[in-house]
Amino acid sequence: MSSEKKKMTREDLALQIIIFGLGFFYAIVYYIAVPGVVDLQSISDQLLAYITAVLTAAFGIGVINLTRVHWLNIKRKRATWKYSIILLFFLYTMLIVSVIASPFALDPGAAVIPASVIQFSTPIWQFLYYKIMVNINSSIFSLLAFFIASAAYRAFRARSLESTILLVAGLLVILGQAPIADLIWPGFSIIRDWIMAFPNTAGQRGILIGAALGIIVFSVRRLIRYPW
Amino acid sequence: MVYAILLLVITVPLLTHSAVAVPISPTTLALYQFIENLPANSLVVESFDYATSVVPELHPQAIVVTQQLFLRPVKILFVALDNNGPTLADAVLDTVNKGNKTYGVDYANLGYIPNTATLIGMPANIAQFLPLDTRGNPTASLPIIKEFPAIKVASLVITFDDDSSAAYSYLQYWEGRYKIPVAIGATATIAPGMMPLFNSGQLVGVLFSVRAAAEYETLLSQHYHCCLGMSGASSAMVALSASH
Repeated sequence: MSSEKKKMTREDLALQIIIFGLGFFYAIVYYIAVPGVVDLQSISDQLLAYITAVLTAAFGIGVINLTRVHWLNIKRKRATWKYSIILLFFLYTMLIVSVIASPFALDPGAAVIPASVIQFSTPIWQFLYYKIMVNINSSIFSLLAFFIASAAYRAFRARSLESTILLVAGLLVILGQAPIADLIWPGFSIIRDWIMAFPNTAGQRGILIGAALGIIVFSVRRLIRYPW
Repeated sequence: MVYAILLLVITVPLLTHSAVAVPISPTTLALYQFIENLPANSLVVESFDYATSVVPELHPQAIVVTQQLFLRPVKILFVALDNNGPTLADAVLDTVNKGNKTYGVDYANLGYIPNTATLIGMPANIAQFLPLDTRGNPTASLPIIKEFPAIKVASLVITFDDDSSAAYSYLQYWEGRYKIPVAIGATATIAPGMMPLFNSGQLVGVLFSVRAAAEYETLLSQHYHCCLGMSGASSAMVALSASH
């Protein structure tokens, strides 16, 4: 704990009252049903709707910020400025096409945007999303298989008792996960299920409970602004 | 050398169409049986909470589970906590056999849940927080929403989740408060972390990666190439083990 106590300004105090008040308000509404004159649940629902509006505006700010940063990159010919052109081109192409022809289309009933424009944009959006975005992202993520294989090859070495246990448990789970291994010996699946149900659950539970206690402590500290 | 062997053992089974029989895991069977035992006219929520990067892992799960739901006399709402979700849900809907179910009456795609505030509000009132579906229809006008105006009456929510955050959100806000049963279709990296929640009964089912999709395909006796994909993954795992 820091020995220096920073003096709270008036703005800090106002902010703290709002954080404290709303934090405890939601905790009370969430855990306690209060029947009475004031419908706390409907007040809570209305406030949540405002949060939706505020957070949605944050997406717009993100686009503006991205445009500013990369536009300056291009204008000042900074390193990698060519990539900024590609980024901005695809950002706005995808944005425009998505607004016209995706599940998020602004005018799916063609009330304002002409139907011919929607028809023209639909295959472009489908190509960009299903053929480019899905495949590129999946390919990049799939590279993990090769990195994991390489890392496992290096890490799973029986150097000590602990690493031997890790090696044996890892191999049994891998073999149990592979249906082809059951053709060799059906016991692999049973062992995998046992490892997942008991040793894994015990370890994961310890991590979960530890993390949950940490979150509660952090939340209470934040609500009461400790240490200030 | 390791990479070359991996490439070989993955591609050969795929190119030779060598499907393998997949034993059913208890975590997969639990979800399958839970859906089979749902009373007629139950409301089920499917949440598409994965990005395009894990489509090869979670999309097959979403297809087979959705197919089972369309074979059962239940109503289905599609939502998403990932902004890719509504599009991926539509892709799944294009793939499965919808039988005689009608959009708006038996199922609807309500789109993206933008934040926790909406998630907390939906059990009380769906239309207030998601006023339009992905086809631009006012949510309140859909017959399925007139029948089920609030999520709190749902009998099951299934999240296809790539980072476990969606599962925890549903457990906190829907299961904890309204006792809506939750199941998860998980990637291989997050599935072990879900086991304590499955063993405690907080999750009614856990699907482990693409293997669970293959298991589900076996249970449904339908073919969406999940077992075929599993043969490539399976031989890669055995090769990795043998290399030690």
